[in-house]
Amino acid sequence: MSKHPVDQTERMLESFDNLQADKHQLNEYKFLGQKIPRRVDGLAKASGHADYTMDIQVPGMLYMRFLDSPYPHAKILKMDTSKAEKLPGVRYVLRYDDPEVMEAVIIGKVTEFFGVEKPLSGVAHMEGEPVGAAVAAETEDIAEEALALIEIEWEERPFHLDPMKASEPGATLSFPERYTDGNFWNRGIFDEISSGDLKKGFAAADKVVEFSFNRTANTWVGPERPCGVWRWNGDYVEIWLKHQRIHLPKSRISDWFGGIPMSKLEVYSPFQGASFGGWCQIDWNLGPLWCAACVSKRIGRPVKYIFTRREDFFGGSMDEGTYFAKVGFKNDGTITAVDCTAYLANCQWPVFNPTLHIHDNTRIHNQHGQSKSIWVNKGINTPTRCEQLPPVFTQTYIFDRVAGELGMDPTELALQTDGCLGHDMEWVKEEQKKRGFEPRDSLRECIEKGKAAINWDEKWHKPGARKLPNGRMHGISFTWTHEWDDSLGSAEFAIRIERTDGTASLLSMGADNGVDAESTYCMVAAEELGFRLEDVNYNTHVYRGFFRMTPDSSTNMSVNGWAVRHAARILKQKILESATSPSSPTQRGSFLPAFPDTKPEDLDIKDSVIFLKSDPSRRMSVADFVRMAGESGPLSTTENLGVRAGWSEPLFAFSYHPQYGGYNPNSPRPRFCRQAHFMEVEVDTETGEIFVTRVVNVNDVGKVINRMSCEGQQYGGSIMGVSRSQFEEIIHDPATGVMLNGNLLDYKIATIKDIGPIAPILVETGLGYGPYGLIGIGEDVGTVMNCLLGPAVYNAIGKWIYDLPITPDKILKALGKA
Amino acid sequence: MNREMNKVACPYCGDVLDSADALKGHIFQAHKGRALPGPAGQIRLTINRAEHVFQVEPNWTLYYLIHDKLGLTGAKQFCDRGACGSCTMIVDGKPVLSCMMLAIECDGKTVETVEGIAADGHPLIESYVKNHAMQCGYCTPGFVVTSKALLDHNPNPTEEEIVEALSGNLCRCSTYPQHPIAVREAAEKMKAAKK
Repeated sequence: MSKHPVDQTERMLESFDNLQADKHQLNEYKFLGQKIPRRVDGLAKASGHADYTMDIQVPGMLYMRFLDSPYPHAKILKMDTSKAEKLPGVRYVLRYDDPEVMEAVIIGKVTEFFGVEKPLSGVAHMEGEPVGAAVAAETEDIAEEALALIEIEWEERPFHLDPMKASEPGATLSFPERYTDGNFWNRGIFDEISSGDLKKGFAAADKVVEFSFNRTANTWVGPERPCGVWRWNGDYVEIWLKHQRIHLPKSRISDWFGGIPMSKLEVYSPFQGASFGGWCQIDWNLGPLWCAACVSKRIGRPVKYIFTRREDFFGGSMDEGTYFAKVGFKNDGTITAVDCTAYLANCQWPVFNPTLHIHDNTRIHNQHGQSKSIWVNKGINTPTRCEQLPPVFTQTYIFDRVAGELGMDPTELALQTDGCLGHDMEWVKEEQKKRGFEPRDSLRECIEKGKAAINWDEKWHKPGARKLPNGRMHGISFTWTHEWDDSLGSAEFAIRIERTDGTASLLSMGADNGVDAESTYCMVAAEELGFRLEDVNYNTHVYRGFFRMTPDSSTNMSVNGWAVRHAARILKQKILESATSPSSPTQRGSFLPAFPDTKPEDLDIKDSVIFLKSDPSRRMSVADFVRMAGESGPLSTTENLGVRAGWSEPLFAFSYHPQYGGYNPNSPRPRFCRQAHFMEVEVDTETGEIFVTRVVNVNDVGKVINRMSCEGQQYGGSIMGVSRSQFEEIIHDPATGVMLNGNLLDYKIATIKDIGPIAPILVETGLGYGPYGLIGIGEDVGTVMNCLLGPAVYNAIGKWIYDLPITPDKILKALGKA
Repeated sequence: MNREMNKVACPYCGDVLDSADALKGHIFQAHKGRALPGPAGQIRLTINRAEHVFQVEPNWTLYYLIHDKLGLTGAKQFCDRGACGSCTMIVDGKPVLSCMMLAIECDGKTVETVEGIAADGHPLIESYVKNHAMQCGYCTPGFVVTSKALLDHNPNPTEEEIVEALSGNLCRCSTYPQHPIAVREAAEKMKAAKK
């Protein structure tokens, strides 16, 4: 075969050194950065033909429902399921004390990390926790009716709802099965970071301020509830599961029932009604799936479970807790020291320490941050757009508080403090140069664009200083941080050129959840292959056995984007090599190449047509090329007729990309891309109502690939962030520990009417470590925008409200009216 | 013979008569000329212009009938019950939450679902795709159906009217800003097609 002089596989291996700027970008782009007219999943979703796991029905299927604990902390002493078992239509009642249930380990070796040991426990650690029994019946209604017939004798235990009270010495244990010497996880030290000398830093300050802030429990509200279907086909298993990281449950499930070979295990993740991390970050939902599997195995019928909306509330975002901050600063705005400790509830995942972003984004040298996770008798908290919430809360509140204390414009304070790992911008620019980037000041560019869009210079004012003609107080706020699509992860991708029509199929894990990453991969592949966009497709809901980072997760394009690009470049090389090599080789010889007397580097591909660069009239579409080399498939033997046909090698390439990311204090990758956000509010001081009237999001994504997808993450993240900071909290009755608002009537999320216009602005400095200089955006806006309401309200009424969500009663209280 | 054994119930109104002859007389007098009613629980529905006859249980919702029994899965269950708009269907011209309507109450009604709207080639489908008025897509059919009902009654809605009409539909991905754009674009297309 004729070899191309540039070996793309070697380039792929070179790019694993991802501490550098992308050295091999394209000179011009046809698709990247454009507003593409259609998304690959658009028609299926708009027409109602996109099926989700909730929609799946298989022949003979039973429905499973779970018993929910009425107590926040209680143990089952006795359970009588006989009446439930006799109810017509009930096919099986699985009990917590079933020997197979008691012996089952559902998530293998990582139980401590994820906190779930058994598929069905006999002890409840929160009100509403599915425990004790699972009923499989012909209908959901029958299963529900059967659950009501189960008689239980409970041993009620003392419980905690408040992490601060649970952390007091001598507090009763909230989870004695796991934590026997107190309610702290990991002996109290969860994640800690420090640099410089705090004592010296505070001593150098002109002023030191201490304050605390609080975030109540809030949750993801994934539109599709947790659900799954299990079907045994002899020893071959099919599973449908709502999950955004399908490879994780698959590997755990392969340990079940004495071991199921991965090659006999099919896990389908159809379209997903969004998780935002949420349920998929924990393996708690594997317990119900195990129960469905066990019953299915015992009675020979497929079993489906769907959690109720209320059951979906038994988990939340890992920012719930109380944060204690101390900051020292000089009168010119120089911040000399920062110290912050967060007491967080029920974190089932190591949460980042609260000063992580100050460490990553600023020149502040003296700092210390620490998170402590405390178990209370409420739901599991897990990364929910996202685990960076504690650091972004801290960064916003520290900066806006210092700016407020000094009467400074917070955008000025940000520029004055911007830096990296305790170093100033001179150091940052030198680092950019060293790593092959063209030096840029990302924050300055973001701030300039954002200020112009919101008319900051005219609108910003001293706190409580502007009353509007409608009688409301006007407020405006600003915050900033870096873009962080940068965790460690790996991706595997393959691309196959289909026989007959030459279209390209992207093959990787199915994990669609709406950010339109799949269209983005198609754009990259089409750009790199020289194909028309409509000739590249990705079936989003088919699991092909490859791993990849999920598109909503912390690492999408900065890992998956590389892998798609490598695959496309390797495949293009293969196509051109094939087009210049003898075709249809058999035992009796071969035919001339499609492009005789040429070398791969003489050819190129544009609009899905292969052509000779020196004479573009010599051309052949990829479709014609593959058609003549295999239209009739493996049986083709037209060689006898003198017709050029027969066999050709498959046009298939695979690639992979690993990333060592920077989600830890020892990050080898200084962060260069910034984001800046602005918000305007009106506050009614009579009713306490807040009206968010305008938002401007500015994100330096390095390089825009899929413009509409990026903008979708900006306005979508803004609305979700504002919703969480203005409306959302899970409320428990302190006397009984019972959740009071586990439904979407009482737990309010934002509607189309709740937030004013949003201006999404994208900046492209090329300072990302991803392909083409990109960095991601998916989590970022939805996380940062949780913080901006507090400073906006402060600017409006001159009072800090450090207790999210900021509800009208808190406004009135702050104003001394309640 | 026990006289109770001879008693018969009228299939039209349920009245109990003493004998078959009495029943004949009763029907002749009270129900003459009317077609014999179907068995209890039988309903007739026109779904996306196709006639259907179903035997339903009294506790079945319209959503359950169409999503689980008929298999038209475009309507979605997001909130559980009555709070999100994702299961919206158009019943006799009005958008309703199909999770809040009992199937047995729908006898004789006309139902439109997102599948029917798409099969008719309504311009909303294309404008939703083109304007990315979706992310995870779970709530999208509910928005499309609600928008269709709006355009049926108001072919040229203002942005405020669109926002008002869609204010009962929840979207957790928060695609809200794209919906008025998509609906306006569909309205313009419909207007152009009429000219």
